Amino acid sequence: MQRRAFLQTTAFAAIASAIGARGASAADPLGIALVLPSPNGDVGWSHTLVAGLDPVIAAYGDAVKITLLENIAEGPDADRIMTKAVADGNKVLIAGSFGYQNGAMQIAKRDPSVTVLHASGYMVAPNFSPFAAKYFQGTYLMGMAAAALSKSGKLGSVSAFAIPELITSINAFTLGAQSVNPDVEVSVVWVNTWFDPAKEQEAAKALISQGCDVIFSNAQDTPSVIAVCEEAGVYAFNLNSSMKSYAPKTYLGCVATDWGPFFKASIDAHIAGTFAGANAFLGVADKVVEVVDWSGDIPADLKAKIVETEAKIADGSFNPFTGPITKADGSEGVAAGVGMTDEEIVAMDWHVKGVATPLPQ
Amino acid sequence: MIPRLIRRDRASLRMAVLAPLLALAAAILVNLVLFLAMGKDPAAVFYALLLEPFLGWSSFSEVLLKTGPLLLIAQGLAIGFRAKVFNIGAEGQFILGAIFASAIPVYFPQATGGWIWPAMLVMGALGGALWAVVPAFWRVRLNANEILVTLMMSLIAAQVLNYLLLGPWKDPQGFNFPQSVMFQYDAMIPILLPGTRVNLSLLLALLSAVLAWAYMQRSFGGYQFLVGGLAPKAAAYAGFSESRAIWLSLLIGGFAAGLAGAAEVAGPIGQLQRGISTGYGYAAIIVAYLGGLHPIGIVASSLLMAALYIGGDNAMVSADLPVAAVRVFQGSLLVFYLAAITFVRFRLVWPIRKGGAA
Repeated sequence: MQRRAFLQTTAFAAIASAIGARGASAADPLGIALVLPSPNGDVGWSHTLVAGLDPVIAAYGDAVKITLLENIAEGPDADRIMTKAVADGNKVLIAGSFGYQNGAMQIAKRDPSVTVLHASGYMVAPNFSPFAAKYFQGTYLMGMAAAALSKSGKLGSVSAFAIPELITSINAFTLGAQSVNPDVEVSVVWVNTWFDPAKEQEAAKALISQGCDVIFSNAQDTPSVIAVCEEAGVYAFNLNSSMKSYAPKTYLGCVATDWGPFFKASIDAHIAGTFAGANAFLGVADKVVEVVDWSGDIPADLKAKIVETEAKIADGSFNPFTGPITKADGSEGVAAGVGMTDEEIVAMDWHVKGVATPLPQ
Repeated sequence: MIPRLIRRDRASLRMAVLAPLLALAAAILVNLVLFLAMGKDPAAVFYALLLEPFLGWSSFSEVLLKTGPLLLIAQGLAIGFRAKVFNIGAEGQFILGAIFASAIPVYFPQATGGWIWPAMLVMGALGGALWAVVPAFWRVRLNANEILVTLMMSLIAAQVLNYLLLGPWKDPQGFNFPQSVMFQYDAMIPILLPGTRVNLSLLLALLSAVLAWAYMQRSFGGYQFLVGGLAPKAAAYAGFSESRAIWLSLLIGGFAAGLAGAAEVAGPIGQLQRGISTGYGYAAIIVAYLGGLHPIGIVASSLLMAALYIGGDNAMVSADLPVAAVRVFQGSLLVFYLAAITFVRFRLVWPIRKGGAA
């Protein structure tokens, strides 16, 4: 894997090559602009992206200059702001939301010396890499724990948008739960927003009133859902960064993402001039996805099984999306013994059997 | 001891000119303290905020690009505001305009020809006006408050947009992301200024200012509007129809906002997506009042608002200013300006000692 090689490149070597390449202008730091869809808070998606630059700052110090552009609405404003950031001399652009895709791609095509990393997209160019986390590897493990702790056998998920990234996290969550209790049912509320705490709380309350007693906060940027669950006394978990302090009693855990290794490797490669755009779909094996802050309520024997499964996912001997998998409509999704490829997973637009709510069409 | 505001007999022209400058000075002073406390370089921040939008062709062209929709919507709204018909729902009419315009490239993605973008503009204007029919009808027939109805129609419009993007109009190749296909070349409005994103719709916005001026200052219809707003009873006595004013106000407002929505999807965006409006419909209300509801004043105020937005973005990118501080600056400038303009038109009168403050 090329990426691993980048990781091994030491910071000093990279700086040395940067100085060599830039000659007299070596004193100019490398400009990195990070565009965020929501304010940079204490938790959540934007926070995770900002934290992902910490290893870069640690390695390069004053040789990099980071510009944070928070709360940028997707659309023509984002296009202008990204264009301006590049015109100001930033050479690495991290576009932190799917909706920036078209504008960011135009920038990458206009200026080959700029490296663009784009969250959750599907377009690729020589200087443009989309990146996404294999959340499903973590949510599968969460599903196992959820099924063991649920009394009603009904699980719920408050989910942002019905895009493959989130659909697969719900599917893997369901499959993980079914591996412990085959009769488990999962209900989903699509809130169609990345950031609307009031709406998200309403959705969580609706799921709880339907009898769901473990809630999956799927891509919310605030502890909205987690806080409601703590109040109602039902278990909850979320993605990206730990929200345990908002639900000390009923927090099930966090499928955390750490973009540090990926950002560091990409910026090393940019400086060394070896960056090659590719679809970066990263998971447990890449140390990008990790489940943290497990609840102490999980039975010890199941916890042992979860740890074992996690190890198998990490070494590649287990793929949560291995057949037989039946689709929610009853047709065959994956044949017995066949594992879905990354390409199939990033394009997944159907739910597995056990997800009670149909996908919005 | 609460002072009262009394309207001046004659506003001083000198103060009217000075007021915006004083407001700017006050905003700079207050924010200077804020920026210093934050450890930012105030010179760099104010340069990015206030000067950079006007220096350099590329950033000024972006100001013009943002001026277009603000100007168009605000001109439409101001006509109604002068007749005291408060259309707060330009945002929804903007969205419907964008949706109606997008119908052509969404259903005929392969179509070619120079007729496509003009047809989209016409569709957009019709869509916006149609969305304004509901509040107009309810106000005239059922006496339902148009402020509430137009506002709520905006929420419905946002949901209609969501529905289309998540369902029937979703790009089949778009991995389920809520957005339409990218529009074909002929569905894009031709660029007016080469090398920028400014398209021909800017001329439409400027034309709207001329038309609004001609209508309000030079026609009997415009006079009826003005009287209806200033003295409704007198207007009724003179036989000016109130329901006609309501219908016209809302339809013109919807028409202009819809046109702006169409120009946005057929212009800088090039597809229908969730983020088509960054609050243009609401910002235009401020623009209309900042411009004194006067067609020429609105041209100036829409330019100013657009420059403020661009300057704010610049400050975030170039001067490392957090988004919250940018909003504080923009907000304080507006507050100081409104305060200054109030003192131009009114004077403070203290209950005991008269004429104490000015």
